[in-house]
Amino acid sequence: MPSLQHVVKDLLASGAVEVVIGYEKAPGQNRTRPFFARTPEDADRLVFDFSALNNLAVYLTRQKRPAKGKIGIVAKGCDARAITMLMQEQQLTRDDVHVIGMECSGVTAEMGADLSKDTLAAKCVTCKVQTPPLADTLVEGPKDYERPDDRNGARMRELEAMTPEQRFAFWAGEFDRCVRCYACRQACPMCYCEQCVAEKNQPQWIETSATLRGNIAWNVIRAFHLGGRCVGCNECERACPADIPLGLLNRKLGMVAGQEFGYAAGMDASAPTLVGTWDKSDRQEYIK
Amino acid sequence: MEEKHITGEHLTAFASGLLEKGYILISEAPDGTGFTAVKDGASVNMNTAARPTKASFKQQVFPKTEPVFHFHKTVDDVLLFDPLPHTQKTVVFGARPCDAKSISIMRKVFNWDYKDEFFNARADNTVVIGTLCKYSDETCFCTSVGLSPSSTDGSDLFLVPLDDGGYAVKVVTEKGQQFVSENPALFGEAKAGADAVAATHPGPAQKFDAAQVRTWISQNFDHPHWAELGQTCLGCAQCAFSCPVCHCFDIVDEPDSFLEGRRMKNWDACQGGMFTKHASGHNPRDDQGKRYRQRVSHKFSYYPERFGEILCTGCGRCTRGCVVGVDIGEIAAGIAGLA
Repeated sequence: MPSLQHVVKDLLASGAVEVVIGYEKAPGQNRTRPFFARTPEDADRLVFDFSALNNLAVYLTRQKRPAKGKIGIVAKGCDARAITMLMQEQQLTRDDVHVIGMECSGVTAEMGADLSKDTLAAKCVTCKVQTPPLADTLVEGPKDYERPDDRNGARMRELEAMTPEQRFAFWAGEFDRCVRCYACRQACPMCYCEQCVAEKNQPQWIETSATLRGNIAWNVIRAFHLGGRCVGCNECERACPADIPLGLLNRKLGMVAGQEFGYAAGMDASAPTLVGTWDKSDRQEYIK
Repeated sequence: MEEKHITGEHLTAFASGLLEKGYILISEAPDGTGFTAVKDGASVNMNTAARPTKASFKQQVFPKTEPVFHFHKTVDDVLLFDPLPHTQKTVVFGARPCDAKSISIMRKVFNWDYKDEFFNARADNTVVIGTLCKYSDETCFCTSVGLSPSSTDGSDLFLVPLDDGGYAVKVVTEKGQQFVSENPALFGEAKAGADAVAATHPGPAQKFDAAQVRTWISQNFDHPHWAELGQTCLGCAQCAFSCPVCHCFDIVDEPDSFLEGRRMKNWDACQGGMFTKHASGHNPRDDQGKRYRQRVSHKFSYYPERFGEILCTGCGRCTRGCVVGVDIGEIAAGIAGLA
């Protein structure tokens, strides 16, 4: 079974790809970070383990690509879903990338922790893609792990049980802390608009000041734009300096996409997108 | 520097007394998000062994959004209205040295040519009670930027926890002296021991020589090293927004209606692509390498050259919060290595 380093070395030495986006160990720290391997020697710096938190697919969006030519990318299941979604949305062709799929037994919620039931990231608790659904080369690895109770599932049920007024008050309390840095957007592989709606000022759709009014507008509009598109990598929540639980919002929209339309984002590169297609057999009882 | 002693009970009484006098007391929130107002003296958070909060108390002196004036259009004129002046007195209780120092650093830029009355009113109405920091992790580097876990710089009073459960109180400024004078029953004679406690918390090992970093930056604006630094940066700007001393802002008009609105002063950050984009479409900092060069150069070269202060307290927040693991301490050490 070829190792990650072996696969990458071959890809770079043969010229099959120009660069491989992967993870390296941060020096002096118990954490990994994104790394662009450009030479066969660079391949030795690549690592993959439970601290590979990043969704590297963000570097495949047009403005952030590290090379003009073909790109190799190390991808866990959730990352592979994001890559697939980018293909579904015509941001990427199948030939643009060589996906090195990594079998995955979960990552930690916070960088630097050891992996255990208690430190497992919330997104891994309900994950169904331990083996990536898209891969040119598959690197096998451990993929079984003990899953704790679905903490976020319980929180979601609490929110669902609230009245709309209570729920609005909950989210207003969270969004009040937003500082409008847009780190959520920058860390998101699905936020690739060349000009974000938040930066349009003729007309100005969203108040740019970090007031509650502007913050609600921004966060709700971003959530809507991710409905049926978010693959649940939760990088937005991890990037948020204000600790806003954006993952809850995205998961709810993903659940609605699943329950109402039988749709899961990023599982099939040839599948149409949920919000970008129309069919006359679509449900339409909401049109009154 | 005058030194006093206060018992744990008296510290609670002191905090309660301040609340009764109408001060707002803020300290690190137990949930780790940022600084929050406490309701009673006993709730003041003096635990500096925990990881610092995600947000500093910067918002106390430099809010994330603030009206500069309100406007009202009439048939043939525009009427302007000043916001109410900031007069609320606030005490930051239990600030670590890397946070306590922030106001005095930012005060320089906000009073350089134009006097920023908004910042000054808030800073003048804020008293900082610093305390010795018992935390350190691989992202901390206060000792590389002229501070230490027991540095009193920026505090008005500085507390060092002693073995007896009380605190050594260092009276650093007149504001601090006033608090001590107003509470003669609470502050007793100094007791020995503060130096011994400080010696057990030396802080992180020094990572770089800031003077070397400054010199290299001032001579290497076009060095290829800069392009390497920006490669993985996503331009998310959480670094600037969680920084205790980043102070850039944007001015924007927010209409409330066709006739009325506000001109707002909002946080901004040099890591975003829009930050230097000209109306023509030209962008002098058109990639992340150039933007990251600006961030590092501003902190370790431009600001020290102009104001004599490093624009960084070594708190480690930018590194801790960075999703792609950009480590400013490591970068500064790398630059010192090139010098």
